[in-house]
Parts: sequence; C-alpha cells; structure tokens
Amino acid sequence: MNPILVYCRRDLIRWVRGRWGLISAMVMPAAWLIFVGLALPIRFTDNYIDFVTPGILAMTILSASLAGGGLLILDRMLGFFNKFLALPPPRESILFGKILVITIRGIVQSTIILVFAFLLGAHVYSPIQLLGTYFILFIFGVLLSAAATTVAIYVDDHDQYAAVNAMVSMPIFFTSSAMMPYDVMPAWLSPIAHLNPLSFAIDGIRILQTGVIPLTQIGLLSSLCVCVVGLAVHAFRKVKI
Amino acid sequence: MKEVNHDSLPYQDHKIVTHNLTKRFGNLCAVDQLSLSVGNEIFGLVGPNGSGKTTTVLMLTTLLGATSGDATVCGYDVQTHPRKVRESISYVPQDMAVDVRLSGRENVMMFAELYGVSDPREKTEEALRVLELSDRADELAKVYSGGMRRRLELAQALVHNPQVLFLDEPTVGLDVAARKKIWEHIRTLRNAGSAIFVTTHYLDEAEKYCDRVAIIDRGVLKAIDTPKNLKSLISQDIISVSITGTFHEIIVPGVRFAFVEDENLIFYAEHGESALPLIKDALSESGICVDTMSLRRPSLDDVFLHLVGTVEDSTPFKLSTFRNMMGRRG
Repeated sequence: MNPILVYCRRDLIRWVRGRWGLISAMVMPAAWLIFVGLALPIRFTDNYIDFVTPGILAMTILSASLAGGGLLILDRMLGFFNKFLALPPPRESILFGKILVITIRGIVQSTIILVFAFLLGAHVYSPIQLLGTYFILFIFGVLLSAAATTVAIYVDDHDQYAAVNAMVSMPIFFTSSAMMPYDVMPAWLSPIAHLNPLSFAIDGIRILQTGVIPLTQIGLLSSLCVCVVGLAVHAFRKVKI
Repeated sequence: MKEVNHDSLPYQDHKIVTHNLTKRFGNLCAVDQLSLSVGNEIFGLVGPNGSGKTTTVLMLTTLLGATSGDATVCGYDVQTHPRKVRESISYVPQDMAVDVRLSGRENVMMFAELYGVSDPREKTEEALRVLELSDRADELAKVYSGGMRRRLELAQALVHNPQVLFLDEPTVGLDVAARKKIWEHIRTLRNAGSAIFVTTHYLDEAEKYCDRVAIIDRGVLKAIDTPKNLKSLISQDIISVSITGTFHEIIVPGVRFAFVEDENLIFYAEHGESALPLIKDALSESGICVDTMSLRRPSLDDVFLHLVGTVEDSTPFKLSTFRNMMGRRG
C-alpha cells in the first residue's frame, strides 16, 4: 500500500473513532448554514441561501483545513512525527497523507452542507455543477491543507497553532465574498475581497450556478495550489527537528 | 574511511561508526567530537539528563544534521544517504507514541506497510507473537498498560527486521517486571543478529544487559568499554563512611579518599576488609567521630559517579582523582 494512503487511513480511522471530532464536523457546518442562511435578518440577494451556500462550503473547507494542521502538531507533540521521519518512505508522503485526509474531511463536511442547503430550499445543483463544485473545493482544500500542515511544522505547540489559526481564519472569512456580493461591500473591502483566495473558490462555485465554467477562478486556485504544495514539499524534505 | 579503534571487531561488522561527530546549538556543544563504533551488540549510551544522548540518537537516525564530523549506519553516511539509513534502522523514541485509537494489530500493520515489507500481514503477526501481544492484538491500544505499549512499539520497530535498532530510554516509566521483559526482548533481538543502540540513565540496567557501555557527559565521551572492564576502572573496594565533625585528609596505606557522596565519605581501598579498621582508627585519631561504615564492590554507578560526578563534585580534588584514574588506565 502506498505510504500516503497508509498515513491517510491512520488519520481517518482516528477521526471516525474519535467520535467528537466527527460529530462536531457534522453539526458545525449545518449550524452555520441555518444561522447564517436562514436566521440572519439581512438579505443581500433574492434567494440568500442560494447565495450563501458557496460561501459556507468554502468556509467549511477553510476551517477544516486550518483545524487539520493541528493533526501534525499533535503528531509532533506526541512523538509520532519523529517516528515517521525516521521511516523509509519519502518525507513528503507524510505531507500528502495529511493533505488527503484533511481534504477528505472537508469534502465530507461540505457534502453535509450541500444536503442541508438543498433541504432548506437552495436550488439543487445539476450533476455538472456538483462535479465542478467538488473540483473547486478539492483544489481549495489541497491548497489550504498544504499551507496549514506546513505552518504546523514551524509552530511550537497546540496553543500557538490555535492562536495562528484564530488569527488567520476569521479575517479571511470576513474579507471574502462569502457573506455579501461585491457590489454591496464597503469600498475599502471590495479590492481586498477580490484578492482573497477564499473568494476565488466562492466566486467559482457561484459562477458555476450561472452555467459558466469559472476558468479564471480555477486557474488562479490551481496555480496557487501548485506553488504552495511545491513549497510544502520542499519544507518537508528539509525538515529537521 | 578513517579508522576507529575502540574495539577489536573487524570493520565490516560495524553497524554504526561515528567519527568526531559534533552537534552545536548556538554556543552549547550538545555532542562534542564523538567517535565510537557499534557492532552486533547491545550498546548502551549512558549519561545524565542533557548529556547529549538523545541528540546523538537523533543524528544517527537522520533526524538531526551534525555540525561537523561524520557517521555511518550500515555503511551509509547519515548525511548523504539518509533514505538508505532509514531503510536499515528502526527508531523507538522516548515518548511512547502508539495510536491509542488503533488496535495493537493495526498499529503494527501500519508500520509494516510504511516500511514496505513484502508480506505485511505475516510479518505483523510474527512481530506480535514475538512480543507476546497476539492475545490482545485486536484490542485498542488505549487499554494497553505502559509495558504493553512499549512492547507494541518494539513490535512496530521489529516488523521489518532492522539491522540496527535505536531505543531511546526504552524502560523509562515502566515497572520492574515490565523492564525486565523489555530487556529480555532486546537480548533476543541481539541474538538474532541486530545491533541495538540503547540510551538509558538506569545504570543497573546498563550494567546487567548491555554488552558495552559508553559514558557521556556534557557531550563528551568519558569512557567506552564492557561493564566489567569499566568497573575495573575502579579496581578497588569502595568504603563509604558517615561521620560527625569536619573531615581532614587522613593517611592510610592502600586507601585513597575519592569524593563525598550524599554526606558520606567515599574511599577506594585495595583490601577493603583490612582497611576498614585502619580508616576508623585514622579518623578517630584526627578527632572525627565515625557513625557508620560500609564496604562494597564497585558498581557501574560508582564508575559513573567517578567519571561524571555531580555538579558539587567538580572540585580540584575530584579532578585530580579523575586524572589519576585516567592516567593509570592509559
């Protein structure tokens, strides 16, 4: 079996058997969707749940990826990382294992959101739209989990990582196009939101709903993804403890 | 390759060879010019906490780069051929890292697959059987005791028949029975032809189970030999005396004051039994009241204290005995 899959399976088993991680992964996105999509008294667009679902999907991948960086922190703190580094498989297979498991977790959560969104009255995606959505979420997940896992090599411990996580995730979410369209944003926010990678993913999924393939967004995300994964592989190859 | 002359093994039998291996962290020299070689044996690296034991293991297992000097494991340079080294070794760190949400079997199987052994399932069963974990292999490692977890780690390490096994403090935190069992397993491995590189600060264990012991202090190798030869560094009997009053140097033929340990005076004597009354008399004459006296054969503890000492012992007097000792040996 490929070492990447071995590492990935290990974390997946731990996730599923961990129970609370799994329950939280199921409840959190649903809660977001209900509170933001239905309960918020603002309406930037006609069918707000249609509008906000891509935002919540991308946000779920964001938070799943950032939380996923904690997997490596724990491995480091508990001594697993040292054991893995002394094993024969190339060290980047540890990275790819984490990317895979974190992205799978994010995709599972996204799927729950989609199901909830459709139940709550969002327009049901066509198979092509679904495929496109998953494709964008996947690239976005790989990009973020590679970044988070690499940051996790350099951050001291769990507390520090949680601090970095909190510092990064909220600004990224609120400076994106997740909650409101560009034309109702304050003037200072719009350019920032345009440069935010989270917006690339969200806009991509929204454009898919209009029946267009969002080549720009996919292109941007893919190039970013290649760069970040390249840097991450480099970091993992030269890691010393 | 530069020659290393610490023992008489033919070169090709050396699984680990280091030459002037050095690691600095800023100003701190964690390992200073370490040269040693290890064959198919249980090799114990002992030293106080922070003496550079773990740093040495990390360098030999390719996890940490050396500042200078070189090291080969199974003939491969750890700096230039790390992948080859990793294929030949197993490393069990101090942390006792087993996945508690995986069963014993899953834990071992994972390593079998990561090592890329050709028949992971059979090798897993064999490793579990050797470490006497087969009965409980399906239970989650969460319910394993400390000793079982350590054995599970050994099973993970053994699953690919490593040529060299690195164990960092393998018995720390275990009860006496579990420790004995771990060491018995380590012996079995040695007999099967593996080189075992162990760090420990349990000197009694090193004395009992290691074929050779290296004593390291503040990164510097102080001595390297079999426990028996190390003990003969202190060729004499050891007499421990507790007194009331201030100690002044006494002159007794065949007896030498060594150092103070836990408020006891330690003397080395060529003939312990006959020296006891002489020391008592000499002390009494100089007005010192002797409370208790005891006589024992030297243990590795004594050698260790002699070579490494404690912070308080680094007095000029201690240094001179240390020099005498090394001088006599050379």
